[in-house]
Amino acid sequence: MKKYIAIAVVCLTITGIRASLAGNGPAGKAALGKLLFFDPILSKDRTISCASCHIPAFGFADTSIVSLGVRKQKGVRNTPAVMNTARQPFFFWDGRAKTLEEQALMPIENPVEMNLPVATAVKRLAQSKTYSAWFAKVFNGAPTPGRLAEAIAAFEQTLETSESAFDRWKFNDDSNAVSDAVKRGFVLFSKKGKCTQCHFGADFTQNQFRNIGLFNGRELNDSGRMVISGNPEDIGKFKTPGLRNIAITAPYMHNGMFNSLEEVIEFYNDPGKRVPNAINRDTVLLRPLGLTAVEKKDLEAFLLSLTDKQFLPVKKTSSDAHRRSSTR
Amino acid sequence: MKTILITASMFTVFSFMKPDKLTGRWESQPSAKGTVTGVVFREDQSFDGYLNKKPFVTGTYSLEDSIFTMTDNGCNGATGTYKIIFFSNDDSLRLQPINDPCTERMKGTSRLVLGRVKSIPMADPEPYDFLHHNQ
Repeated sequence: MKKYIAIAVVCLTITGIRASLAGNGPAGKAALGKLLFFDPILSKDRTISCASCHIPAFGFADTSIVSLGVRKQKGVRNTPAVMNTARQPFFFWDGRAKTLEEQALMPIENPVEMNLPVATAVKRLAQSKTYSAWFAKVFNGAPTPGRLAEAIAAFEQTLETSESAFDRWKFNDDSNAVSDAVKRGFVLFSKKGKCTQCHFGADFTQNQFRNIGLFNGRELNDSGRMVISGNPEDIGKFKTPGLRNIAITAPYMHNGMFNSLEEVIEFYNDPGKRVPNAINRDTVLLRPLGLTAVEKKDLEAFLLSLTDKQFLPVKKTSSDAHRRSSTR
Repeated sequence: MKTILITASMFTVFSFMKPDKLTGRWESQPSAKGTVTGVVFREDQSFDGYLNKKPFVTGTYSLEDSIFTMTDNGCNGATGTYKIIFFSNDDSLRLQPINDPCTERMKGTSRLVLGRVKSIPMADPEPYDFLHHNQ
């Protein structure tokens, strides 16, 4: 049901954006990139857009374990969020793209995602009177693979969030912005939980490749970074994802095997309990953390505090209540 | 005896919590990529650093004469010691490393030039309780 609502929102967004731009066209690269991001014109059968899997309401991630591409083909890894990527040095779980521009074109060509050769995508855009006019306006030229990538990347760079309760606490110096549980959770995150060993930085990632113990060469057999680097030491390593808006991007991990933050915390508390035969697990995770039930809840409260205010339910203010009562 | 101990500990706490030359908000000029690095130093000797309004580091510090010492949550508890150099009527500063085993931090800190921010953004007065919201 959630997914259908999200699809409806995407359709309305495209219609809305197009209607508002009908006269003038997009103001710049990012605005053009936004149109392209939401437009299924970039998939072979015109059914899938970037936003089909990177759903805005869920932090530009997907709610499924793996996303469905054209002809309902299943992907092989959980869809990563494309928010807060502006400072990332690598993209995709295995880091196969080094720039946002490189990243932007890969799903278009991927046979199980949009399955459209970039050359064909560019041809389609050039044949569209609207898009060719918009590219001319923004780039002073016709659509090219480079310009397509540049526009989508420019849009993705606008998807930065910095207005969570945690940000209000730390950036605005407002100690009332979060509960005591969040404050305790942050201390656990930094110390006993050892989370900052990998999730350190403005987006809560050091952008490294780590093996957290979800590779055993049997039922968990995605070798991750090793496929790209060719280095056997990289077996089972994946890029550490950022944690901003993590509460709304379930399921978690490269294979989407955890449905809730509670499950994720339970796993990290004792990784060997859930996957006892993991190969090459990072030394940071060799011993159980020994978190108590309260500490686990506190850690979860901290992670929830990283949700940007745009994703939170709108709080009713006293003036709203007054307005309602005065119209009765 | 108990009263003396309480008074003594209160005195210790309050003398520790005096503002120093650093207390307040400091920010860099935007880099070529537009990144602004900032730090909030507090009277209780805690600090938070941020990049483009995104907090990324938290820790404690001390300042004695021009010697600045800090510990944060990003370097396994390692302490870094720097000489702090104030300039432009104490409204700008930079840090010169004396000793810091955390090389990444030392690299970042040595490059920084920070200016004092005169006004502090207003905080949203309404707290949001995530724990209760999700129950």
